[in-house]
Amino acid sequence: MEMSKKEHAKQGEYSTLELMAVCGARAIKNGEVVFVGTGLPMVAAMLAKRLHAPKAKIVYEAGFIDSNAIDIALSIADSRLEYRASAAIGLIETLGMLLQGGRVDVGFVGAAQIDEYGNLNTTYIGDFENPKVRLPGSGGGNDIVSSAKRIVVIMKHEKRKTVKKLDYMTSPGYLDGPGARERTGLRGGGPTLVVTNLCQMDFDKETKRIRLATVHPGVTVETVLENTGFDLIVPEQVLETEPPTYEELEILRRVDPMGIYIPRQQGEK
Amino acid sequence: MVEAEVEDKRITLDEAAKLVSDGAHLFWGGFGFQRPPMAFAHELVRQRKRELTIYTCGSEIDIDILAGARVVSKFELAFFAIEGIGLAPNIQRRIRDGSVQIEDYTNLAMALRFLGGALGVPFMPLKSMLGTDLIAKNRFRSNKVKVIDCPFTGEKVALVPSVKPDFSIIHASRVDMEGNAQIDGIKGEDVEGARAGKKTIVLAEEIVDVEFTRANPDLTVIPNIYVTYVVECPWGSYPMMVYNYYDYDMEHIRMYYQQCKTEEGWQKYCEEYITGVENHMEFLKKIGFEKLLKLRARKPFGY
Repeated sequence: MEMSKKEHAKQGEYSTLELMAVCGARAIKNGEVVFVGTGLPMVAAMLAKRLHAPKAKIVYEAGFIDSNAIDIALSIADSRLEYRASAAIGLIETLGMLLQGGRVDVGFVGAAQIDEYGNLNTTYIGDFENPKVRLPGSGGGNDIVSSAKRIVVIMKHEKRKTVKKLDYMTSPGYLDGPGARERTGLRGGGPTLVVTNLCQMDFDKETKRIRLATVHPGVTVETVLENTGFDLIVPEQVLETEPPTYEELEILRRVDPMGIYIPRQQGEK
Repeated sequence: MVEAEVEDKRITLDEAAKLVSDGAHLFWGGFGFQRPPMAFAHELVRQRKRELTIYTCGSEIDIDILAGARVVSKFELAFFAIEGIGLAPNIQRRIRDGSVQIEDYTNLAMALRFLGGALGVPFMPLKSMLGTDLIAKNRFRSNKVKVIDCPFTGEKVALVPSVKPDFSIIHASRVDMEGNAQIDGIKGEDVEGARAGKKTIVLAEEIVDVEFTRANPDLTVIPNIYVTYVVECPWGSYPMMVYNYYDYDMEHIRMYYQQCKTEEGWQKYCEEYITGVENHMEFLKKIGFEKLLKLRARKPFGY
């Protein structure tokens, strides 16, 4: 029985959201300082701490530092995140001293739009003067993407979300290419991984342009390209995303038992 | 030694809201679901305030109500939504009809703007916003942000203007009658915000005796020197949460979100829960004590 826990689950035994949370969790190394928001990133960080990264220190911008929450939170300021934290302080502490101070290894963010340099939009859809939809805004997103050593983006993969030109640039990826972050005065390392419902993408070291890394089981490169609005670099060899193991799934389902961020599937094991 | 008489800064919620004149600028405390001055927002709506400007980092139903009731016309902030549920329905509608304008900053930028106001310096530097539309685009502020080369190191920094609003509105855990306030759990940007305003009103879940605060001065987050008025306001953040006091009421929050998607639904909500009740106590009676008791925080969790 113990051996089977490390085996990979088969397609149909897990949902896409579960796979995305597992991809996010795997991007966290043991002992790292991790800056996360609510939603899938929170689930991913809580999963990582219960698996390979028990010494990861999770920071939430409201002021929770080294949180060990056992209940899923709805808000970044949710009292649930205070459980067994090392401190509960405030924004100047988390976004200022920890993050801008250069002490955060990896930050997780979401986005409504991303372009091929990993720049992100969470503010407006449509024209700035006459927008179609007003989104929530930066919050701490721009601060995180500006200053964390590396960034993981988790978002939905659609043509209208992967665009040549953002409607509004809320957070800086590699701006317009190599050297731009440095010239602009940004200290953080920028995005290194984008996890979507179809694939994982990373960034070409030379050009800083977004590149297909792995396709999720059951997804073809063609499907990814059909659903992508920008020019995506496709390497000669594209591997399949490693599916979740039974152990990862079992623990993930304990992290979010009510299915708040990852709705429970019918017929799941 | 002559013992000084303890100053009594207590006023009612009604009196506190009356101090705010139309067109006033407010620092708005609380962060996300944690300790928003919800009862104060309701009272501003009941008193039909107009043309207020609000400065905050991230707020939710509290400022959505203020936008819906046309109390606030300008926000300078970093984030608004109903987290975990969706976009803030009233603000969306008020932006579309042109009655609300938003100037966008980041959470760190706003927190630093309050710190700058508190420190009495005209601006604060930061390493965010650089290279993005947060710098390139402005809505109504001509002096939103400036990028300079640091005079010492030469590196690029963004400068944001400090904020000194007419009032700072804070909802704390406990306060004594002379204004020494304690906040359990995260403080968000309330430590800086409480010190930025020309006048500071502290609402709190409990008024405690001065003997209690004076015996524990290390627990005071906002000392009396900064505080102009104090308001006793139990359940003052309902339906949102106050650490160690109560959890959020998800049922009410979801109902609010669903109902306020239409203007008619919002008007009905406003009439039923805000303008149609005489004051905060009547609002709590309407919610009912059975429900409130169910939300009380459990030890040692604080929620």
